[in-house]
Amino acid sequence: MIVVLSGRERNTRGDLFDRYFQCHYRVFIRGKGWRVASVNGREVDSYDDEHAIYFLDLDGPQVAASIRITPTVKSSLIADHLPQLIENGEPARAPTIYECNRLVMPPSGDNRHNKSSLIGAMLQWCFARRLTHLHMLIDAEALPEYLELTPLTTPLGLPQFYGGGPEVPTGGACMAVRWPICPQLLDDVRRYGQTESDDRLRGDEVMPRISSDRIH
Amino acid sequence: MTFDASIYGKRTLDFIERIRQLDRYDDLSREIVSELKWFGYSSVTSWSMPRPGEDQADCLLINTRPREYIARYIEKNYIVRDPVVTELRRTVDPFSWSDLRAKRSLSRSEKSIMDEGQEFGATDGLIVPIMTPSGSLSVFSPCGEQPNLSSRARAAVELIGMFSVGALKRAVTKHPSNERARAPLTPREREIMQWVATGRSDEEIADLLTLTPRTVTWHVENAKRKLDTHRRTHAVVQALRFGEISL
Repeated sequence: MIVVLSGRERNTRGDLFDRYFQCHYRVFIRGKGWRVASVNGREVDSYDDEHAIYFLDLDGPQVAASIRITPTVKSSLIADHLPQLIENGEPARAPTIYECNRLVMPPSGDNRHNKSSLIGAMLQWCFARRLTHLHMLIDAEALPEYLELTPLTTPLGLPQFYGGGPEVPTGGACMAVRWPICPQLLDDVRRYGQTESDDRLRGDEVMPRISSDRIH
Repeated sequence: MTFDASIYGKRTLDFIERIRQLDRYDDLSREIVSELKWFGYSSVTSWSMPRPGEDQADCLLINTRPREYIARYIEKNYIVRDPVVTELRRTVDPFSWSDLRAKRSLSRSEKSIMDEGQEFGATDGLIVPIMTPSGSLSVFSPCGEQPNLSSRARAAVELIGMFSVGALKRAVTKHPSNERARAPLTPREREIMQWVATGRSDEEIADLLTLTPRTVTWHVENAKRKLDTHRRTHAVVQALRFGEISL
């Protein structure tokens, strides 16, 4: 089941958030070796604020998969720290642009269906709120994967090296990409994961696969 | 000539936008070749790595290198000795010809294969492996006399390669009648088709060229496949059309 949470619900949905932050500790600090702050086996960063929106795919009590989006006018990793990655002359921040990050998927098996369901839920939320674009900061080598998910993936600029570049163990190349929020994108994502279609994309109607909690 | 580093990003994004509007193979090819020229690349070849048992000729996506060069490459089976292909088995990171020469001690035959590019004016090139999540590998390989191999230019061409390969594959899938890159006839195939055009049978051509009839038939069948036809007479028409033979 996919649950949608707002950062404003940290106190009222504390249990779910706690599981989410524990999952992040496992995945990003223990799993990927990120050197970021953590407390008592929970990883919370500066973008986990009241403006963030979270999509959690729950498998019983566990957070099996998750993704977070933040309004770029409030918080954007790209705009705050890597604005040079945007080379198309367009602004990194706008009221209708959100930034998507911290995708967590189950560690093994074919994730296409899970990924499609989670991203599809996120896109439905974005579509219902008339957002225009989602920005993402990705590893450049992951670009083919994003293009396979949808050919609408558009680079915002050239990849740039970090940490000494791809030839160094701790280095790589990152880039900013974006998706236009449109029905074609949703179709692509569903086709990718062979998830069922749902034509009820209007207003603030909440899709049955998403928790009945309302955000606004 | 040096450019402001930001120009590479803008040009590449504009290119991606342009090719997204195109779905015909010829239009895409023209756009790709034109964009690569700006970076100093005079030729480009792109191919999917053939799977075991798959014919190399069926894997070409775009090619502007001289036909004779490609024909010789296939006929001499360079793919088993080409150091570029060997390197592609070790890495999926892009590299240039000069990177490869600097990194590995090449044998004489390996150097010879790489140096053949100079015959058509290419002294350096870029190899951009494009690995799909499903594990299949395509390669985008532009080359030229003095291509721009600055780090920003390379990043740009790598992205151009990725989107070009995707666009070309979509064009071929969407419009199978699109004329895609065609493997050229080998010199022997061309010679035999020239005789076929005069109305000779395989046995007569075998006598003329001191070959066995079976060998002649084998070459004719290869030529027909490359010319995308099952009929002998239509193969002659196609060969004339593509300039492989003349009357």
